[in-house]
Amino acid sequence: MVDLTHELEQQIQHAYATKTPLKIQAGNTKAFLGRQTSGEVVDMANHTGVISYSATELVIRAHAGTKISHLNDLLAEQQQRLPFDPPSFEGEATIGGTVAANQTGASRPWFGGVKDSLLGLGLINGYGEAMQFGGQVMKNVAGFDVTRLQCGAMGSLGLITDVSIKVLPEFRVGHTLTFEMTADTALEAMLRWANLSLPITGMSHFQGLLYVRLQGGNSGVASASQFLGGEQLDPTDAEDFWQAIKEGGLLQPQHNQTLWRWSGPSDTPIEAVPNTSLINWAGSERWVLEAGQNPPLEGLMQYNGGDRLAEIFGSVSAPQQALQRRIKYAFDPHGILNAGRLYSWM
Amino acid sequence: MHTSSSTSNDLVSQASEGGNVASLVSALQELLPESSIIMSIESQRPFECDGLAVYQQLPLITVIPETVDQVQGILRLCYFHRVPLVPRGAGTGLCAGAMPHAEGVLLVMTKLNKILHINQDTATATVQPGVRNLALTDAAKPFGLYYAPDPSSQIACTIGGNVAENSGGVHCLKYGLTVNNLLQVTLVTIEGQLITFGGEGLDEPGMDLLSLFVGSEGLLGVVVEAKVKLLPRAPRVQVLLAAYDSVTAAGDSVAALIGQGIIPAGLEMMDHLAISAAEDFVKVGYPTDAQALLICELDGTDAEVEEQLAVVSECFKQYGAQQIRIAKDAAEAEALWHGRKAAFPAVGRISPDYYCMDGTIPRGKVGHVLTRISELSDTYGLRVANVFHAGDGNLHPLILFDASIDGELERAELLGGDILTLCVDVGGTITGEHGVGLEKMPQMPYQFGDAELAQFRRLKAAFDSEDLLNPGKGIPTLKYCQEYRSLQHG
Repeated sequence: MVDLTHELEQQIQHAYATKTPLKIQAGNTKAFLGRQTSGEVVDMANHTGVISYSATELVIRAHAGTKISHLNDLLAEQQQRLPFDPPSFEGEATIGGTVAANQTGASRPWFGGVKDSLLGLGLINGYGEAMQFGGQVMKNVAGFDVTRLQCGAMGSLGLITDVSIKVLPEFRVGHTLTFEMTADTALEAMLRWANLSLPITGMSHFQGLLYVRLQGGNSGVASASQFLGGEQLDPTDAEDFWQAIKEGGLLQPQHNQTLWRWSGPSDTPIEAVPNTSLINWAGSERWVLEAGQNPPLEGLMQYNGGDRLAEIFGSVSAPQQALQRRIKYAFDPHGILNAGRLYSWM
Repeated sequence: MHTSSSTSNDLVSQASEGGNVASLVSALQELLPESSIIMSIESQRPFECDGLAVYQQLPLITVIPETVDQVQGILRLCYFHRVPLVPRGAGTGLCAGAMPHAEGVLLVMTKLNKILHINQDTATATVQPGVRNLALTDAAKPFGLYYAPDPSSQIACTIGGNVAENSGGVHCLKYGLTVNNLLQVTLVTIEGQLITFGGEGLDEPGMDLLSLFVGSEGLLGVVVEAKVKLLPRAPRVQVLLAAYDSVTAAGDSVAALIGQGIIPAGLEMMDHLAISAAEDFVKVGYPTDAQALLICELDGTDAEVEEQLAVVSECFKQYGAQQIRIAKDAAEAEALWHGRKAAFPAVGRISPDYYCMDGTIPRGKVGHVLTRISELSDTYGLRVANVFHAGDGNLHPLILFDASIDGELERAELLGGDILTLCVDVGGTITGEHGVGLEKMPQMPYQFGDAELAQFRRLKAAFDSEDLLNPGKGIPTLKYCQEYRSLQHG
């Protein structure tokens, strides 16, 4: 375990004094995501290691530079897992970056996002002050929830130094069913099945097939499988498919292509998001891979490819913008932390 | 008692010499129908406290708006006149978070009580803040759905209050607190602007302002609409009860069960005093000779529940359960829960007053903390009954006292404070689900350092630069912290 908190604090204190812009980076696996930014690198790659892990408490606490792949391995030894099943981006993604970029896998509708498992974190603000918020216990409502505020903030409010996460038992068994269906029929099925009490942990539609992943105890999965029908997918193919969904391997923009992400109510008709390439999260997340840089629809997030200096996270109303600027100021008065990474105006 | 009183028939006339309050009141009278304004002292009495009645304060004026426009107007007026505003729902909170401000407006949100929409396909509901928690679950029932957070006050408490406090309940072990069951809130800022946090989908881009707002205790804005997630009702719910001859054995059972990969829908613990009080009160057949009881609820499909039931029973036996009772039917399950749910009023029968604490600790520390609480109980000469959400380590020690005996309330508060700092010492927190409010301000500087508290204050100022929203609650001022630290070191 390597604890660089003190050095990181000093680097930020110096940057505060000299108003030097900083660019936070560890595995640098998410450079494609978010807006391009520049600045002196705050290197988190060596700030690594698990601080504490108690399998009976279902809590793991690690330095922000610890790799997701390492956490997965460690948890697997105790038959446990990260509930939000984040991508590991070829083994290089870190837990700090995962929280900052709010990265969640296919089980999102059933097991929650990063925020649902996040219990606490260490944060160095733009003054260079190291602070601790939340904790290692399951329920904690003391003070404002600065912990969860960091999810999706892309490091613009502070440097995450350590993270405490609730973990869950590994599923005992699992398999994937497939159904040949059009997107419309698949959406109907997803809406119907998502609201039954079934051990579903993934529902995606891709290239004419609906994939339904079941995970849980033996009898629960077996009876759900019988109830749903469909074809059982070969375990290796199933593993590959869900891995590709999680890691973004199914839709990689080529040349002048842009990958757009839509997020909304799962019952939104298929035609409302034209040219959808992939439906994920039982209909509440859809992906559009298209040539060119123009958004095919208002309100989409420009996930990968295209102009990385555009307002890729979408537009924000004037009162919201004013409020978020004040929040940014409350954490980082000189605007030195990942300036412009989230929005051009932040 | 922490109270104030007045002899005049309304507080506005006494305060209006400055002119500011008088002009606010006349503007409010212009904005709202007469039925939405309460000014007389007697009519405001029911609003002078929340569920923590030892803290009482009359507001200058109470307003009960019926529309979002009116809420916006009220906040604009308070902002313009620089008058403090305290929002409240049903007033069931337990930390004096909704106690009125002596020089301020009390904003009661209970008339905005419509369920605007339930969507069966997406399993979501859009509601106004004054909708009662249980009313939402009742309304969702015909769709086979329910709202998971179920605080013990769910018959009365409102969704708006739940958002402000990040309320939990017995089922949050598996299904999470309010923050985990919310998609979107629309709120009114102190300037009277409408702002929406979260979205229609699951994860919106950008910083998670929705989570920041949840549990902010009315310090950042006033909720006027919420979109919540609903869950499908499980086909089978199974309740069982296990009796132990020591709290440590029961505590170890809990840690072992969770460690084995079972997350029950609810897992509650009661100690001997709480068991006896509950059994005397509701007579559900609890073994009164037990030192500790676990009440465990499993849910899922028949197959899932059967599989889990075998593991749970085995685990409880292995860790020393002397009796295990598996509810045969819904009526018996209801009875087993009834005793737990009646535990607070049951304790109320054996003591003139009781004070409910709310710390959370790591599950593995339950035995240690309960032993220490028992020592503290002896030191202070006050009995403590323990009822708690064992699955997530959320303690509710009930301190028994008699307010009519001089100094006993103060002793109860000191004992409560010691229990909270004990929770922090073992790696826990001063509040798991009740909130800080006014009550736990003294423990905030114990849990947080100066940098964190200063960060909270800057964050508060980003939303409310004039400190008008529920001032004096939740986050201690710099002066308060300095006084606290000098007392600690003095």
